[in-house]
This record gives sequence, structure tokens and C-alpha cells, in this order.
Amino acid sequence: MAKSWSELVQELETKKEQLRQGGGKALQEKEHSKGKLTARERIDLLCDPGTFEEYDLFAKHIGRDYGLDKKELPADGVITGFGKVNGRGCMLYVEDFTVVAGTFGERHGKKICKIIDMARKYGYPVVGINDSGGARVTEQMGALSQYGQLFYRHVQASGVVPQIALIMGPVAGGQAYSPALMDFIFMVEKTSSMFIAGPPLVEAVVYEKTDEQSLGGPKVHARITGVSDGTWGDDKECLDMTRKLLSYLPLNNKEKPPYVDPDDSPDRKTTELEEIIPTDQKRLYNMRKVVEVVFDRGTFFELKKEFATNLIIGFARLNGHVVGVVANNPVKYNGALDYNAADKGSRFIRFCNAFNIPLINLQDVPGFLIGTRSEHNAIIRHGAKMLYAYSEATVPKITCVIRKAYAGGYLAMCSKDLGADVVYALPTAEICLMGPQGAVNILFRKEIAAAENPDEVRAKREAEFMEKYVNPLYPAGLQHVDDIISPAELRMKLIKALEMTLDKVEKSPDRKHGITPV
Amino acid sequence: MAEKVLAPMVGKIVKILVKPGDKVEEDQEIMVMESMKLESSIFAPCSGVIKEIKVSEGDRVEEDDELAVIE
Repeated sequence: MAKSWSELVQELETKKEQLRQGGGKALQEKEHSKGKLTARERIDLLCDPGTFEEYDLFAKHIGRDYGLDKKELPADGVITGFGKVNGRGCMLYVEDFTVVAGTFGERHGKKICKIIDMARKYGYPVVGINDSGGARVTEQMGALSQYGQLFYRHVQASGVVPQIALIMGPVAGGQAYSPALMDFIFMVEKTSSMFIAGPPLVEAVVYEKTDEQSLGGPKVHARITGVSDGTWGDDKECLDMTRKLLSYLPLNNKEKPPYVDPDDSPDRKTTELEEIIPTDQKRLYNMRKVVEVVFDRGTFFELKKEFATNLIIGFARLNGHVVGVVANNPVKYNGALDYNAADKGSRFIRFCNAFNIPLINLQDVPGFLIGTRSEHNAIIRHGAKMLYAYSEATVPKITCVIRKAYAGGYLAMCSKDLGADVVYALPTAEICLMGPQGAVNILFRKEIAAAENPDEVRAKREAEFMEKYVNPLYPAGLQHVDDIISPAELRMKLIKALEMTLDKVEKSPDRKHGITPV
Repeated sequence: MAEKVLAPMVGKIVKILVKPGDKVEEDQEIMVMESMKLESSIFAPCSGVIKEIKVSEGDRVEEDDELAVIE
């Protein structure tokens, strides 16, 4: 006799419930004891309540050997589907460590690839939660090939939809290149790590004893490698911050970033800047304070905060519009651009350009960092990325010179010549090819050497040079600066320039792609 | 435990404000260096006693060069 509908539905529900348990209660508790949430708890925190639609719960692994054919691996260790975050769509894949350590097998890989294909087709961001022991060794070519398929898809989706990787456990081996091909990477303190080979392999092959955290923990990737965009205290905070990050991003490259009504006034005077920015050029200050005052209150979301701290990057809102902020910070290297800062900045600029996010650039840069070490670290190759990224960007580009804007650094922080739409300068701006010391040494070397009191002559010549060239009136006279403004007006002026340029249209030359310096 | 004070960037030490044996507080200004057209202060990374000063005024330094030891 045929089963009744209620029997069929009951069986289906039982089966689904069993699969949703992943590796089972005991292994879930083990995850909790490490300070981690389970894959499904993570989905509940990331998505708006009741919005997650799962696909491929019934997907089966392909293992045939070593007794695996008799084993059930629920959902093949990765939960995939569509959910809403802040009311907006998002494609998700979430590895489940309770199912054979979230290892990446062929079906597991195919499920992830399908999600990225869907994201591209329907125009939604991808969020991937990584928590995996790496490739499932029993699946050999199946796993290896799917890594390739996955990398290929990340690249096809690059610049089409935002791709965010959350590292919420280990990510080992070739799989580490999946987040690396995405746009943003968040890590969780203590429980996350990323490396292309873990401690046992490292010891066996290069005879180095190490541990996961010192090889590729969140501190390493936040401070040394710059691989990570943010480190958060625990799973919940990481997921909250992912929701926040998504709130600044358009769903895809055909859209503009989401506007929200601001809580801040476009006419607010930024008089505090007079306290923050010293007029004495030798005194340092923290540019982060400037950023916090200028943009809509409480909206600045900084990325790569601990890496290359001489350059600040992040998203903010200006009168409700999302912008990308790029600002030199004199607290490190006096704001000079080194190879790490150029790397950090140029990647961010390219993301903003791909996703229609206007760029606001705050300059206080004494130049590219010079010296043997900087040259040997290939400042020429890396510094070129900044020039390239700004020149290539067709989104609105608005620059304000706060204090120093010297030589190549001035160009590399988006001058008029690199296509800035509007350039402002504060009265403290020093825009020049060469500073007074260097210039006077070249121009008046003989006069100074022959003088009875060389220091006096040098000081006089320097003062004269400053008066002639190193002030905002000189570049404004040559139309390199559109307006010289007071610190109190900075916010208002940036808003006016931004709103004027929001619908800017600029076409790039017809070509496959340029050859970006890397 | 001794803590090393390292140069934050390439440049020149222009002023040394402490000598061996001096007690210092964390974040106290102990040297001034000049680099990339700016003067910047070097602060004590911890409280303690200056055990050794490894540079002289006028010395040029590389990033991460040892400037002093605090114990």
C-alpha cells in the first residue's frame, strides 16, 4: 500500500532533521568548548530571522574507498543557500567542522561553486564561512579539481559581486587561496588560522617547529601579512561586523551602494579640526581623529586597521552616501607611503571603483618612504599601484590636502593630474615637488658654502622658497587646487563636491584589462 | 625583564632626553628623531630604568635598529 502524505512528510522531516544535525550533538558541543559556534548557529546570527533558504542539504559525498562509501556525511560538510542580511539578499556557504572536520571534498566543492554561480547570475554578494581541515585526502583529484573550479569562479565573480570570507576556524592548504581571491577577509581571535601548510607539514618539510597561531593566526594576518581585513573577539562579533560591512556595499557592480538618511547634518562645522591638526608641520597628530570628525558621526568602518598604519582605509558615509576613505596617517612613517601601505591602498581603491563607491582622499604625505630598505622592498613596483589604481578609477574622486603633499606622494594620493574631480586644500597645505630643505641645498649650494654665516643664509633662502612655492596659493593659482578652505568647512565642502559628482560618467578605454603593477 | 626600544623608521636621532640609570614611565618621551621631513618623538614602551643607550645624537638609524634598553 502506498504511504500516506502524512507518512511521507513525516519521513522527509525526520531525514532533514537528521541531516541538519551535521556531525551530531557531541561534536557540536566540542565546537562550543573551543569557543566556536556551530555552522547553523552562525547562519542564524548572520541572516535576518527566518530568511535562510537551504539548497543541497541532500548532497552526498563521492567517497568510495576506505569504508567511506558506508558513511553518511550530512550535506557533505558545507551548508549552502540564500539568506537576507539587513533585508538584502546574500548567497552563503558555511563549512561544518562537525562533519569530517569540514574537509573539502568534490561534492563539498561543487556546492560552493554552485553558490558562487548563483551569486553572479542573480547579483548577490557571497559570504563564505571557512572552517575546514583542508582537502579531503580520500577524494584526491575530486578535491583538487574542485579547488581549481572554486578559484576560477572567485575570479569570474571578482568585481561583479562582493565576496567576503570569514575565517572562523582553520583554513589550511590550498584552500587558503579561496579567501585570498575574495574581497574581504575577517578572522576571529584565538580560533582562526590560515596557512598554506600547517605545523606538521612545515616541520616535516622545512624542519621548522611552530604552532598554528604563530604560523597564521589572526595577529599574523592583521599585522604582518595584511591578509586579514579585521579581527573580531568571537564568532558573534565577527558575524555582526559582516552584517555591518555588507551595509556599505552594493549587491553587485550594476548598483550604487545603499544610501541611508543621515543622522548628521550636512552643515555641521568641523571646527574641532583646528584642535586636532597642528599648524606646526613638525608636530604629529592622528588622522583617524580627522576622519571621525569629518564623516557622518559613527559611520567610519575601518579595514586593515593594524596593517600599514601609515595609511587609513575604510568605508564611511557622507550625508548618507557611502564613500571609501583613503587617508595618510602621520603616526607611522610620518605618513610616508611604503610598499605595504601602497598595497593596502591600491587594493581598496580598486574595490571601490569596481563597486561604484566614491573615493575621499585625505592627504598628509611627505612622499614615498625612501632609503635602501624601502627601495629593496620594491617601493617602485608597489608605489606604482597607487598611481595605477587612482588613475584607473572612474568613480568620483575628491581629495583634500590637509598638510603635506610632497612629490610622488602628492600624485599617488590622487591629485588633479590623476583625475581627481575636486581638490581642496587647507591653509596648512604644502604641495610641492621638493621641500624647502632639499631645494635650497640644490639651488643655493655655492652661496651657502661661501657664506660667512651659512645657517643664516640657508634659513633665509628656505623662508623665501616657502613663501614662493610651498603654500596652497601657488598650486591654486595653477588650478591644481579648486579651492582653499578652512578646517571648519571641510565636511560641508566634501559633501558639496560629492553630491555634485555622484552621477559622474567616465568611460575607460576599450581593452581586455590594463596591466596593473602587482 | 629588559625591553628594547626600536627605531620606528629610517632617519636621524636628533635629541636624547634620558641617560643610563634614569627612571622612565611608560609613554614618556625619551628621544626625538627626524625623518621624512618631520620630527617625531620616541616613547618608552614600558616603565623601568634605562639600562643602555645604543645611539648618539646625530646618528642615522634604520627601522627596527635598537636605540635603548629599558629594564
